[in-house]
Amino acid sequence: MSDPIFDAVIVGAGFSGAMIAKQLALAGKHVLILEAGVEIPVNVNEFMERFYTSNTKVEEIPYTPPLFDANGKLIDPTKLNAPRPTVLTLDPTNWKDPKQSYLIQNGPLAFASSYERIGGGTGRHWLGTSLRFVPNDFKTKTVYGQLADWPLGYEDLEPWYRAAEAEIGVSADVAAQAYHGISFPVGYAYPMPLIPPSLVDAAVAAGIAELGIDGVRLTVTGSPAGRNSQPYQNRKACAGNTNCIPICPIQAKYDPSVTINDALATGNVEIRYRSVVSEVIVAANGRITSVNYLQYQDALGPKTAAGSVQATVFVLAAHAVETPKLLLISTNGGRTPNGVGNSSGKVGKNLMDHPLYLGWALAADPVFPYRGPLSTSGIENLRDGDFRRQRAAFRIEIGNEGWNFPIGDPDTTTLDFINGMNDSHLNPNRSALFGTALIDAYNSKLSHQFRLGVLVEQTPEERNCVTVAKQVDNLGLPRPAIQYDLSQYTKDGLVAAKNAVSQIFASMGAAEFTREPDDNDPAMFPVTIDGKDTRIKYFGSGHIAGTHRMGTDKHQSVVDSAQRSWDHPNLFVTGSGSFPTIATGNPTLTLVALALRTADAILRRDLRA
Amino acid sequence: MSDMDNFVKLSAALTGIDPTKLAPSVDPINIKQEFFDKARTEAGPTFSEALTVAGNTPANTLGDVLLNQSGEDLRFLCRSIMLLWFLGQWITPGDLKRYAVPDPPASPIPSLVISSKAYTQGWIWKVAQAHPMGDSNWHFGYWNGPPPSLNDFIGA
Repeated sequence: MSDPIFDAVIVGAGFSGAMIAKQLALAGKHVLILEAGVEIPVNVNEFMERFYTSNTKVEEIPYTPPLFDANGKLIDPTKLNAPRPTVLTLDPTNWKDPKQSYLIQNGPLAFASSYERIGGGTGRHWLGTSLRFVPNDFKTKTVYGQLADWPLGYEDLEPWYRAAEAEIGVSADVAAQAYHGISFPVGYAYPMPLIPPSLVDAAVAAGIAELGIDGVRLTVTGSPAGRNSQPYQNRKACAGNTNCIPICPIQAKYDPSVTINDALATGNVEIRYRSVVSEVIVAANGRITSVNYLQYQDALGPKTAAGSVQATVFVLAAHAVETPKLLLISTNGGRTPNGVGNSSGKVGKNLMDHPLYLGWALAADPVFPYRGPLSTSGIENLRDGDFRRQRAAFRIEIGNEGWNFPIGDPDTTTLDFINGMNDSHLNPNRSALFGTALIDAYNSKLSHQFRLGVLVEQTPEERNCVTVAKQVDNLGLPRPAIQYDLSQYTKDGLVAAKNAVSQIFASMGAAEFTREPDDNDPAMFPVTIDGKDTRIKYFGSGHIAGTHRMGTDKHQSVVDSAQRSWDHPNLFVTGSGSFPTIATGNPTLTLVALALRTADAILRRDLRA
Repeated sequence: MSDMDNFVKLSAALTGIDPTKLAPSVDPINIKQEFFDKARTEAGPTFSEALTVAGNTPANTLGDVLLNQSGEDLRFLCRSIMLLWFLGQWITPGDLKRYAVPDPPASPIPSLVISSKAYTQGWIWKVAQAHPMGDSNWHFGYWNGPPPSLNDFIGA
């Protein structure tokens, strides 16, 4: 039986795709979602089992396709259908090895973030932080002469932020979020009260009470979280599993499977899993007529089917690497040699992340980490200010997971004190202990551990880009090639981040253990600070953005402020790829707000009843 | 004393955790059996020797005897057993020996989480007065206050 002409075909079942599917379906529109990865499971048991039994517990571990073969070796992405990147391919030996790294990394620096290709998208492993951007984030060019302006402002997005907060279910305190010009309608309350702060948060707050940086007094603010502080949407309140990334075992943290299931429940949405879109087809009149896709059954198996579907409206929502790659490989038999939607030449350009500076320390008194959500608070004072003329702004995230992120603890410290090693740097005498001496060593170290992660705003630069690699996956589809570097403005922000972290630790009386990276680490740069040569390592934040930027000029951007392609009136290209700048907040709430705004635009103009 | 009794005695001496916590009288989870079986499978004769030493040595000197007075084979096997209890991971005695040197290999030491139960029963989390990441039995907001005492987690 052939397919009908759908009202909308959506490529990707992550945040943006889920939001738009649900809104269109609620309006009675007939929607098809094509998802490259596997289905949303009935429960998370399989994901949890994979997490528990893996000796590395990075963000991609619970999900599919599998990362490892039976011998524990990384599977060659050439052999996988819908492969995905992993942070396990960021060491000097493998980051440029196409047999290990799905992304073809062309440097000069490593792109350090990953994403998922599965029902629910990268939203399966997000942290849940649901900050609004500050008003000046949308106009940094105008206000500070740096970065780029957005084609819309805070006031345009404000109602959509509220809609996004309701859909996700955000727990936060309005008064605490009214900083740097963020405003709310009178009487607005977040869907749920703030999640209580941790003892780590309290120790940082007490320790920085007298601290000013760049003339700014620092304060600790509870983070808005897409995480339940009371039952919401038939999901439980957070039980503090300290595992938001990679997976909340009780789904107290929102993920897009919630909205996908809502959309499916309308009866107006069909979803096809294991369906990888291979080309976007353009008619002579510039409208998109269809998308072609390939299907498979097993992660390592052959192609099992191919299809093509037609619709009135097409929405690409495959995140900021796969979406531009799809546009670029859609050459329509040579009719669109530069890809679809790319008359500006900006598709794939301006790739950004929040390069993350990580510092870690032992607090003067116990802070009892490894308890509560992974992060409950941050320091937001340095997200905006006149310093943005000179260097990148940032926010500081306070971690509740001890040194798990920095050194893989508690495992590393556990091994050190049993086997007389010092990988943690907590056992300089290489003591091999047992009995009560061992217990005392563990308890006195682990209970004092904490870390700060600083999310630095990265400059949009065309040289940082996603292009089409010659290497392919198991379906024969080209893989993404990445070129990535950091601007001096961004590096200066990372230097300021490093200095801020050390000042905070000193102000708290905490003993800093942050380490200089090795000189062959692909995610580091050398720098001279106060006459001393050092190296700064950055991590990926998973905040991939910029590769189909929105704007007011069709020659300088890929989509307009509704995420509509300038070139193809029935094509919407959605997600954080539309961001002109990565701004100073975690991107999800903003990309969800944009998706809801896009759904509204589609219903008002393209799919009017 | 059964082999299991000696295993619990040995484990308590090495880990510093009270034997009634490692092997409660009502023990539906029975993780001790999984660790016992793993050690016996991986290191049969040396494991038997360790159990014999445990049976013949007072508890208050057992840790020192096993780790420092009984040779390398017993020392590194005992360390492997300790890591089972704390992390639920099997790291071979041979690998522990290779890494217990001033200039160990740069690559991470090979390890294996032997089961999901072994991970969630890892004692290091309790020694940190916390819970395994991804396996909290506590309730909303507990992280806003201090945890129970260390003795509540690991003492008699």
